[in-house]
Amino acid sequence: MFWNIYSKRVLYSLRSRDILIWTWIFPVMLATLFFATMSSIDESGQLSEISLGIVDNMSFREDPYLYSTLESIEGDNDDKLFTLTIIDNVPEADRILTDGVVDGYILFQPDPKLIVVEDGLNQTIIRSVLEHYQHTKNAVNDMLLMNNGDYEIVSSALQNINYTEEISLAGNPPTDKVNYYYALLAMICMYGSFQGLTSVTLLQANLSPLGARTTMSPVKRFKMILFDLFGGITVHFCCTLFSVAYIIFVLKINFGNKLWLVLLTCFIGCLLGVSFGSVISVMSKLKEQAKIAILICVSMVCSFLSGLMVTGINYTVMQEAPLVAWLNPAARITDAFYCLYYYDSYDRYLINIGIILIMVVVMFAITSVFIRRQRYESI
Amino acid sequence: MIEVKGLTKRYGDLVALDQFDLTVSEGEIFGLLGPNGSGKTTAINCMLSLLKYSTGEINLFGEPMKSESYHLKRRIGVVMQNVAVFNELTVFENIDYFCGLYVPAKSERRLLVEEAIEFTGLADFRKFLPKKLSGGLLRRLNIACGIAHKPELIFMDEPTVAVDPQSRNHILEGIRELNRNGSTIIYTSHYMEEVEQLCSRIMIMDKGKAVAVGTKEELKAMIREGEKLTIDIYDLPIFVLDDIKKLDGLFQVNYSDYRLTARCTISGHHLISILDILRKANVDFGHIFTEPPTLNDVFLEITGKELKD
Repeated sequence: MFWNIYSKRVLYSLRSRDILIWTWIFPVMLATLFFATMSSIDESGQLSEISLGIVDNMSFREDPYLYSTLESIEGDNDDKLFTLTIIDNVPEADRILTDGVVDGYILFQPDPKLIVVEDGLNQTIIRSVLEHYQHTKNAVNDMLLMNNGDYEIVSSALQNINYTEEISLAGNPPTDKVNYYYALLAMICMYGSFQGLTSVTLLQANLSPLGARTTMSPVKRFKMILFDLFGGITVHFCCTLFSVAYIIFVLKINFGNKLWLVLLTCFIGCLLGVSFGSVISVMSKLKEQAKIAILICVSMVCSFLSGLMVTGINYTVMQEAPLVAWLNPAARITDAFYCLYYYDSYDRYLINIGIILIMVVVMFAITSVFIRRQRYESI
Repeated sequence: MIEVKGLTKRYGDLVALDQFDLTVSEGEIFGLLGPNGSGKTTAINCMLSLLKYSTGEINLFGEPMKSESYHLKRRIGVVMQNVAVFNELTVFENIDYFCGLYVPAKSERRLLVEEAIEFTGLADFRKFLPKKLSGGLLRRLNIACGIAHKPELIFMDEPTVAVDPQSRNHILEGIRELNRNGSTIIYTSHYMEEVEQLCSRIMIMDKGKAVAVGTKEELKAMIREGEKLTIDIYDLPIFVLDDIKKLDGLFQVNYSDYRLTARCTISGHHLISILDILRKANVDFGHIFTEPPTLNDVFLEITGKELKD
């Protein structure tokens, strides 16, 4: 009996076009889109080497600090940010600037002045560095005057000390990128609601002819829905594993070193999604397509509030409307993933899992109360 | 096998079934005939304990039928008016699923499913998805899903709606065979010809009430109307028409469009008498048609409206 209902439900889910599109294809497309978007952001954020000329004149020789400062600035991957070229005279400097050999050149008159032919990112960076140097130089001069030329005091005052460092307690590298994928996984879990919706619609006599037909069979309703939901949960968990595998192995996103717990969280998230769909389905007599639309909207809103599209929105919601944040199933799933990635303690993770399981139990309880009814006023 | 007493079902102010009584014996093909909305499907859904009802008593196999009477449900097959199959499962998988709800043993089930496929003529379509089937084949699949477990009692609710004649004949022959194999069948339809051909006893329903019950002969005997006569006549003088109208046992005698029509009472045959009058008056005539009374005539006389309304 179990295998008959379970296996047919699995087959049904694997062949259902709606389920295929929304729970298998759409999440993978979204993950790919995230990857493409974030990759281009990364690439545009990487600094290429800036070619800078300095005209060799008397003022330049009197201020050797600028040259050494520029030479010491490092860009990404510990490479030097500036490629410096000493130019003998201004006409030569103008020529190589016009030819595009350098992004700009510095002429001491006697203060350093930047000469460029166009404005762009590189020119903005040079200008910014130059201004910072000038401000610092002026500050040093003022402090030397105030401290009677005591270099030690000035040196200690100018040290740029960073008192905070972003680290992950769980030993995983801090990154915002992974949060998007966590919110995406939460959305996939929420899409388990399609499976819950299908189970109830196919088995509830007042919702479909199939429901009426199965209600007349000699199988107890509770057994019927339970076996059917097992099938739905199995397929949806496989679908979630597929998305996780795609994100990890194809997109090369690191989900940290607690992968088994990530998978367990996915499973519990799937239970939540399926129970959510079943409760929405059982409590309303709307047409199936209308219910699907509701589930998609609710899932997307919950996922949005958990940081699917805007990073940090989950923290804002937690501050401004904590009840909404705590009751948002997608936010709980996302936060559980987040805890696994960043924390070595499981306290907050377990709180999230506890809340999710309570939601699952409540929603399945409501479903079972409705589904056990077998006689209707009308069908 | 089925005993229903005083069944009343209301949808708000509308009375869908009004003190409905029904008795069906083992081995019968019992027809519920009535226009759309007469309460046939409601009666079946109440008998299957799918719908709540206001008052009444329903016994199947000598026991009260309740929603949790699983041991009774196991002996029942249902073919619903709306096709109830999974569009994502093949013909074989669908039949296997529904049969599996009644027969857990896989080996036994496999044989039953194969039999049902053969019985409904779906052998060439076993791997087809329902959306690839024609309307007639889809109805056959619906039937196969309902009867694969070889139930003792089968409810068939308008199983031939929107079916082509070939599939309809196949379905009707299949139903007769199920009955010959021992199944008692409750068959609802608004197609009177089907019910007349198939059913050993018939109940005519209207507005939630049983207006007549019996064999088709018994039903037809309830009305005064016998056969209907039609004779093609090019020219019928009025005095001849008057002579015909004077014959005993004839009523509704009319002549129009070169055609004489007359309805006879159930008591006798009047064709010879009419033809004698025509011969004596030297009136030439062409084609002659006689039609026995139909269930529609029965329904018309009892309710004052056509069954097809």
